[in-house]
Amino acid sequence: MDAIGWLILVVIVLVVAAVAFVVIRRRRRGGGVIATKDKG
Amino acid sequence: MLLMTASQIRGLPVVTVDGGEDVAEVRDVIYSPEAGRLVGVTLNKRGFLGGRSRDVLPAEAIHAIGQDAVMVLDESNLVAPEDAPEDVGHPATERNVLEDDILTEGGASLGKVADLVLLVGSSGEVVGYQIDKAGGGRGYIPLPAQLSVSGVALVVPNITEEFVQDDLVGLGAAVDEFRTRLGLT
Repeated sequence: MDAIGWLILVVIVLVVAAVAFVVIRRRRRGGGVIATKDKG
Repeated sequence: MLLMTASQIRGLPVVTVDGGEDVAEVRDVIYSPEAGRLVGVTLNKRGFLGGRSRDVLPAEAIHAIGQDAVMVLDESNLVAPEDAPEDVGHPATERNVLEDDILTEGGASLGKVADLVLLVGSSGEVVGYQIDKAGGGRGYIPLPAQLSVSGVALVVPNITEEFVQDDLVGLGAAVDEFRTRLGLT
């Protein structure tokens, strides 16, 4: 694989890592608005 | 007193009055649809990747809710789930009302729940819901509007349709009139 190939591979790995990081962080922080069971 | 949405409260730091320490972050907002008040919040740990904290914060332990922080007297106000009221210690996460369909008892859709509107300060009174209207755009409906609530749908009286407001200013006046019409005041 030449230099361009390695560069593309590194960019792909970085993008995947960044997306995974954001998704994991959002899932860990989570949160919602929860109604208690006194109705319905 | 200040009107805030639950989304504005979620993510706020929990800060002690005693030491000025930033001890947690609000994760879930838990409210009683029947009593129309905040009953507590669950927490995230602080830090960039801080996940869910085991401790929770019942409404009685909240000193004040402001636009930039939730204030508690000291860290002992954060309690373990077994020491908190059942609804706060073990919240029914399947009863998350965000994105719930809003249906009148006559079967008409008013839209979806976008957020919860609270009157904060030293207490946490729930005054209404922010909605994504079925016809498009944002609106507000006053509480107590719902006849029943689940994690799927909010069923409201037929007259609620008349009380859909376009802004928060209108919601304040609508709450009183709505309660009068329902015979609650």
